[in-house]
Amino acid sequence: MSNTSTAAHHAASNNRKWAIGFTIAVLTVFIINQFILPSAPKQVVEFFNAWFSLTSMAEIMVWILMALGLNVIVGYAGLLDLGYVAFWALGGYVAGWLMSPFLSQFQINFFGNPRPGLEMGIHFSFFFVLILGGVFTAIWGIIIGGPTLRLKSDYLALVTLGFGEIIPQFMVNGGDVAGLNLTNGAQGIGGLDDIKFLGYTIGTFSLPEKFLMISMLAGAMIFFSIRLRDGRLGRAWLAIREDELAASMMGVPLWRTKFASYAIGAVGGGIGGVAFATLVGGVYADRFNFVISIIILSMVVLGGMGNVWGVVVGATVLAWVNSVGLVQFGVVINNALGTKINFPSYQFLLFGLLLVLMMLFRREGFIPEARIRMVMNEEKLEDEEKITDETKIASH
Amino acid sequence: MIKSIKIGALAVAGALALAACSGGSDSAGGDALVVGTDLPIQGASADASKSTNEVVALVLEQAGGKAGDYTVTIKEYDDSTAAKGAWDDAACAKNAQDHVANTAEVAVMGTYNSGCAKIIIPVLNQAGMLMVSHANTYPGLTVEWDKGEPGLYYPSGARNYARVIAHDGFQGTAAAQFIYNEQKKTHCAVMDDTQAYGKGIADAVAIEFARLGGTVDRYSWDVKQPSYTATFEKIKASGADCVYFGGIFDNNGVQLVKDKTAVLGDNTKFFSMAPDGFSGYPVLRDMPEAEGLWMTFAGKSLDGIKKAGGVGGKFVEDYIAKYGAEPNSSYAMYGGVAMQVILKAIAASDGTRQGVLDAVFAGEPICLTAEESVSGMGFCLTQETGDVDTVTMTLQQMTGGVETDIKSIEIS
Repeated sequence: MSNTSTAAHHAASNNRKWAIGFTIAVLTVFIINQFILPSAPKQVVEFFNAWFSLTSMAEIMVWILMALGLNVIVGYAGLLDLGYVAFWALGGYVAGWLMSPFLSQFQINFFGNPRPGLEMGIHFSFFFVLILGGVFTAIWGIIIGGPTLRLKSDYLALVTLGFGEIIPQFMVNGGDVAGLNLTNGAQGIGGLDDIKFLGYTIGTFSLPEKFLMISMLAGAMIFFSIRLRDGRLGRAWLAIREDELAASMMGVPLWRTKFASYAIGAVGGGIGGVAFATLVGGVYADRFNFVISIIILSMVVLGGMGNVWGVVVGATVLAWVNSVGLVQFGVVINNALGTKINFPSYQFLLFGLLLVLMMLFRREGFIPEARIRMVMNEEKLEDEEKITDETKIASH
Repeated sequence: MIKSIKIGALAVAGALALAACSGGSDSAGGDALVVGTDLPIQGASADASKSTNEVVALVLEQAGGKAGDYTVTIKEYDDSTAAKGAWDDAACAKNAQDHVANTAEVAVMGTYNSGCAKIIIPVLNQAGMLMVSHANTYPGLTVEWDKGEPGLYYPSGARNYARVIAHDGFQGTAAAQFIYNEQKKTHCAVMDDTQAYGKGIADAVAIEFARLGGTVDRYSWDVKQPSYTATFEKIKASGADCVYFGGIFDNNGVQLVKDKTAVLGDNTKFFSMAPDGFSGYPVLRDMPEAEGLWMTFAGKSLDGIKKAGGVGGKFVEDYIAKYGAEPNSSYAMYGGVAMQVILKAIAASDGTRQGVLDAVFAGEPICLTAEESVSGMGFCLTQETGDVDTVTMTLQQMTGGVETDIKSIEIS
């Protein structure tokens, strides 16, 4: 067997192990919540609700979707995007427009599930809205991709930063666009329909089912991310990431390839946005700020840029810490020491410290991609090679 | 793989063991009924929330920890995240589910932000759980305001939400009437901070001011802007004789007030007014540019409560004795009023969620007399909307670095 096929076999086997692990983790959370907790002792229920509440677990899956989407842009194609939150916003508003009574000038029901008395507006099936959300954000990915084609590094970051600021601002001020209420401004759009699946309603309290559904979306995103990376387009992205000029000289169409990365990367944001809006029951412009873009970027960088499983781990850890982890550690420590420290208020201190430590000792992330690891350790490898050569010369 | 499964099994076993050892963050014990407080503990509203939680705890303590025959404990929930520094939609959605999942919890006191209430009310509504807010002033939560409201928040068709403070419709109307009728201003620049509360109250002022016959120009201020002089230059050029700051002081209010004074002159030369989103800020009180600023508070202000004495004044003294300083927000006192309503509802109930809900929305209405209420204001909750039947609006002016009550307006 050649070295290439051995590496491919190893990668496939590695992916299989991680995929099984991910599936087991998701099923474990589902089974515990669906079948065990309803009849478990009160203390056990309280523990799981505090440390691993199902809403937080579902939210983590949304963050995974977002991080994997950004990973296509930053991790695969090496295009720094500081405004990814815009795609989240766009996806969320697609759900707001097509799954609620908001656009009350219409009364359309396409396999939707409007609440009794709230039939006005557009009520599309959740699954249809997922597709539309993905397509809509992909189009916006192409629109943002357009002006960035000739840009690199800092300039590219600035353009995407601008995009990330413009879209949420539009959502805040979109309550009156030439007399038309497009976004309901700062009030947001509430009252989203419950999901209907094969005649079964996944309602407000069907959290295990909601979690399972969003996890399946995350699973699908993981699958497509891996398949894309291993395909022709993925190899072209990696080539651009490593050396744009060399990639161009080797015949990689830069224009088309970059466009594709923005469009496909944006889909993760769109689908995640729709899923999140359904989880929360509405879409509110307040959420979409620059910090969210930075958190998603941190998930990608800390997890391991370009490595799907690294990004999944990065997103899981950071989202869990942000949602419940730090709060609960605070409760445990405060109870033990009799203190009243507000641990979540130190989140950014810890977050910053973690970033500094990572950059000092593990720049390539928790679970780095092989190529990134090689690039990051290039100096070290060169030094080692030099020492080996010098040793050889000395021994001669 | 087997190794991974073993590690996973060990982790689950460890978690269960920890569950057996660890206590929750509430002090619930035995068969006590739980009242949840749902407030933003991170960010700009953290101090106000801390005071509110303390006021709520003191109200319960003074009631002997009981409501009728039932022992009551409090569980605090945080609906904010440090990442946002304010209420967070995901945290609100999580809290809503947690309130319902806690079977001992019969009612929720909160939320502080109307945006968060929009997410929590429908979830509690479907679980038949009472929620009483001390600070939500967005009108659409209880009365017809925007498309589909308020039905949007009550999927079960029945009401489960009440509030002990007047909504912005009252505050905006009172402010506009004061500006037009008493201050004789006819052309007002109504600004908002682009957020839900700010836009809502600015809308209410603009609608009433225009209805009275005044001219309204709308402007927004963005919290991230380093300067607002360009906006105030525009206002100056428009010939306006009044400016209204619809929003909260946290949203770069220092810069806003400074720039207004720099361009339009101080408040004695150019009339300016703000809603209760500007009340209770020591930084604003210390600003010379704030001198003469008019404000409204949708209820009785802390100063008013203290001066009135009675139960409210005594409660503030008790609070100072326990915590070493007075509550840092007038809203905190209304947290106590909301808790009093909940305790009364529990006392009148059979101890179930439905019973507590029915105590407010069916049968005899829940009322607090002026002699009972820690705000010193008596009222009943209307069962049709969940709003108070008597609204007191306090008109204040900043004089000598103090928010001085000028007069109270009672609207029944």
